[in-house]
Amino acid sequence: MAHTKEGPAATAAAAPAPADAAPAPRRGYDAEKLFNRVALGVLVAFALLWLVPLLFATAISIRPADEIAVDPASWFTSNPTFAAYEDLFDKGKLPYWYANSFIVSLLTTVLTVVTASLAAFGLSQVRFRFRRGVFLLLLAGIMIPMQVLMIPQFLALQEVGLLNTYWGVVLPQVPNVVAVFVFKQFFDGIPRELIEAARADGAGWLRTYWQIVMPVARPAVSAVTIFVFVQVWNNFLWPLLVVTDPEMMTLPVGLNSVQDAFGIPYAQLMASAVLGAIPLLAVFALFQRRIVEGIAGTGLK
Amino acid sequence: MASTAGTGALTPDRSGAGHVRGRLAGPALIAPFALFYIVFLVGPLIYTFVAGFFNGSLLREGFGSWVGFSNYADVLNDAEFWRTLKHTLWFTVLTTIPLVLLALVLAILADRFVRGRWFIRFAFFAPYVIPSASVSLIFMWGVLADQTGLAQDWLKALGVSSPPSWLGDPNWAMWSLAGVTVWWTIGFNFVLYLAGLQEIPRDVHEAAAMDGAGPWQRIRHVVIPMLGRTTTLVTVLQIVASLKVFDQIYMMTAGGPDGSTRPTLQYIVDTGFTDGRTGYASVVSLFLFLVILLISLVWFFLVRRAEKES
Amino acid sequence: MLRRLDSPGRAAPGPTRGTPDDRPAPSRRALLRGGAGLAAGAAATAALTGCGSTIAQGFTGGEPPADRLNFWNPFTGGDGERMVAMQELYEKAHPDSTLRATTFVWGNPYYTKLSLATIGKRPPHVAIAHLSKLPVLAQAGLLSELPADALAAQGMTPEKFDAKPWRKSHVDDRLYGVPIDTHPFALYFRTDIAEKAGLLEGGELADVDGPDKFADALRAAKEVTGVWGGSVASIKDTATQFRMFLSFYSQLGGRPLVADGGSSVRVDLDAAEEALAYIQRLGKEKLIPTGANGQAAITLLTNGEAGFLMDGVWQIVAVLDSGVKFDMRPLPRVFDDAPYACFADSHALVLPRPPKEDDARLELSLEFTASLLDSSKLWAEGGHIPAWLPTQRSAAYQELTPQSHYTAAAEGAVYDPVAWYGGAGSNLQNRVGDAVSAALAGRATPRAAANRVRSVLTKLADVESPI
Repeated sequence: MAHTKEGPAATAAAAPAPADAAPAPRRGYDAEKLFNRVALGVLVAFALLWLVPLLFATAISIRPADEIAVDPASWFTSNPTFAAYEDLFDKGKLPYWYANSFIVSLLTTVLTVVTASLAAFGLSQVRFRFRRGVFLLLLAGIMIPMQVLMIPQFLALQEVGLLNTYWGVVLPQVPNVVAVFVFKQFFDGIPRELIEAARADGAGWLRTYWQIVMPVARPAVSAVTIFVFVQVWNNFLWPLLVVTDPEMMTLPVGLNSVQDAFGIPYAQLMASAVLGAIPLLAVFALFQRRIVEGIAGTGLK
Repeated sequence: MASTAGTGALTPDRSGAGHVRGRLAGPALIAPFALFYIVFLVGPLIYTFVAGFFNGSLLREGFGSWVGFSNYADVLNDAEFWRTLKHTLWFTVLTTIPLVLLALVLAILADRFVRGRWFIRFAFFAPYVIPSASVSLIFMWGVLADQTGLAQDWLKALGVSSPPSWLGDPNWAMWSLAGVTVWWTIGFNFVLYLAGLQEIPRDVHEAAAMDGAGPWQRIRHVVIPMLGRTTTLVTVLQIVASLKVFDQIYMMTAGGPDGSTRPTLQYIVDTGFTDGRTGYASVVSLFLFLVILLISLVWFFLVRRAEKES
Repeated sequence: MLRRLDSPGRAAPGPTRGTPDDRPAPSRRALLRGGAGLAAGAAATAALTGCGSTIAQGFTGGEPPADRLNFWNPFTGGDGERMVAMQELYEKAHPDSTLRATTFVWGNPYYTKLSLATIGKRPPHVAIAHLSKLPVLAQAGLLSELPADALAAQGMTPEKFDAKPWRKSHVDDRLYGVPIDTHPFALYFRTDIAEKAGLLEGGELADVDGPDKFADALRAAKEVTGVWGGSVASIKDTATQFRMFLSFYSQLGGRPLVADGGSSVRVDLDAAEEALAYIQRLGKEKLIPTGANGQAAITLLTNGEAGFLMDGVWQIVAVLDSGVKFDMRPLPRVFDDAPYACFADSHALVLPRPPKEDDARLELSLEFTASLLDSSKLWAEGGHIPAWLPTQRSAAYQELTPQSHYTAAAEGAVYDPVAWYGGAGSNLQNRVGDAVSAALAGRATPRAAANRVRSVLTKLADVESPI
């Protein structure tokens, strides 16, 4: 209710004529209150609507198969069961996919954070020839969507034998121009004296970067970490092409490509959707503010 | 953007050695990133351009043989290419409008409340962190399925006797996909708008309220104009993201029914990886790249002009 | 773009926070923790899931262990169940080999995966391929040629295979696959409904051959069900539409749709138009639904809303499971302008070309292949006509009903035309199937749909083959 308190006072002060002074604040207050009520109603309605698909999938995933056969669209069950989840873990390759997604996302994130922050540090704090040119050249990279480059990238990885490896998934996703800008923008805001003092102490550039700049840059590091991790975790098209070995697949690719030979019971489909959603949902629920700030800070899709 | 002032860290009293080290230090720090950048972005871009002049194939060794501009001519004459481009643009229109407007409205409304904001934010943003594979499973088999789906079930409850096959009817499929995309990604724009709203100083609201502006007028005349830059950003990011659509369409309709939803990116995958025609697919890639570039530049140009005029 | 980029900058902490004295560097620790976390996380997940060696492979690109046998197939539902049972028989007989079977989404996604895996030097040992696809895969160099002596060593000799699919497994007189079945497009019917409709004669279905006779039979069934006469999938199922079209088209004497590996179009426009007109007629007279998907088409039969179903024989399990009374026969001979014809395809076991040929791998793969053939009866229960003659001629198979009621269909089997863009789940099936369903639903006249068939094929044929 952040903006409601000043409502009555403000309208009273702005009342057109003293004679109307009494009713005016009343009107303003009512309008404000009414607006807030409507706003709240609309918001909550949308929020609930937004939760429907997730809740529905979860509800279906714990219904026994015979109940689903009778009434597939029902939400309710008298005897919930985790059979679908057990089946998935018993028969499927889910554990592999979780592990692969985790490794690939972490590896990409670490490589991106390190290379991008080093480059940003160089661009922001070190003076050298063609710095501006290099910067503009990198800037242009923001315009190149990785998706239109998948053919040469695939052929190159095939040439060096990196298909079906983690590196094949990771390496092409490392050059993330936006990460460089997030870091550079941040580094540009670091007071010059801080770096000069370190340099005067005889610290080399690498040491300055590692001991002075990076500790300060935690918000940027976490922002980049979050958006790169989410992006890589959810990337579908690239691992779909690079990884064909079922045990090497990432979670989204495995969920989509590999089927259960026993046909696809409805509950199991929903259970696999839920299992695919859970890791990042859990992380998001835990670090909601952090993540939202990080995403808002980088604005990257 | 590149605020170079005040970043020159080399102080005048550096020794000569320091200068040399300093001169190499910049490029050395950039080198690791630059290496990735050249190998995985610049190189492939050049390759894509060159490969368009050859009839390369995934199933044959080497580059293929020189075919001049025939791939270019073929793509331009390829009705299917234009059709997929049309689908891509139509999808972009169908998603960008609600994803910008609805996100704006919801963010403005949400900004009025502090209590319970985490819930609102969770509801809208949670779908965004879910992988497209999960989203597709939920909607393809759960919400939008024929006969068993929730959407048809609800419509039947409302008295619609034969609800459409959401993903199976060419007249509905693209709308359904757009709807799913709105559900999936609105949280991102919502969060950007919330961040933008937080940067509007409180005294602006107060001043407007002093002038007797009601909540609606304040939103229309103060808040929305002040969100102009955020809107520009959100819109251009959204357009570019929508032009690159692939995942959810590939998974839910595979471009069907009757090819009525196949986007250009899927055409690249189909021609390049399913058919193995890498030369041809390279040209399609290049055209898609140009379209994305062009649309973003035009958008920026329009916005800049509008800003100057106002 | 400016906006998003400066936000973290604005959040930069003041100078006091990170002075040089402040060196205990929280973020360095965080980074170190991150690094350690990477190792620990990877190790933990590896230990937790017992997939340590796979993870090592992910980093090194190394080969999977030599005793592992990877088998890929596109089978789900009834087919999948039976294939799993057949695999279990193999595992029981070969307890020391590790079989890893993976099921992928049928059609283009499956074949794309198969060729990308082979190109990517990590093909499965054995994979299922449709014979409609086999020539293309072989010409693209994705398959190993099967040496006759190695096959014979496992008891697989030419005379033990059904001649038609065996011949189809060759390209330029070289063998690239071991056929396991023929699976035609056939006719299912509810015996109870047929009886009420007066269509049963001595327990057998009456003569329904001929355009009007078949339509009349459907109409009679419709009067019993009150909903539809027959059923066929047309929504989200271009393959079924293609199968129905190719069957009627071939009965009308239509030439193969394309020739010369796909580079020339040979559509017989008149035959195509007549076939499409007939399909449209069934839809227009409301004898068959124009808006059922694959699942719904079967459900219409099993819940009694349709008396007939035109579908592949592999759906037999789904119908059996419902417990209704039904029987099957080959697709009716609606037109008799040519020898009997119905769409069919065959599954074959192929050996995708490995990075390096090696005898042990070949032997392991063929041993598995032979084992699957030996359990052909299980496969036949799922509807497929076995290509392995020891099974096809066995009394046990002959007694299977309704499986043995359509064996004759194999004689008239018409495969997809050979083209690099053709075969199961291919562009050709999809494009042509789209045109067919447009005719069925009445969105296009038969003439327009036939022209569309020709124009989509011309477009496909004009493209230079990538092989």
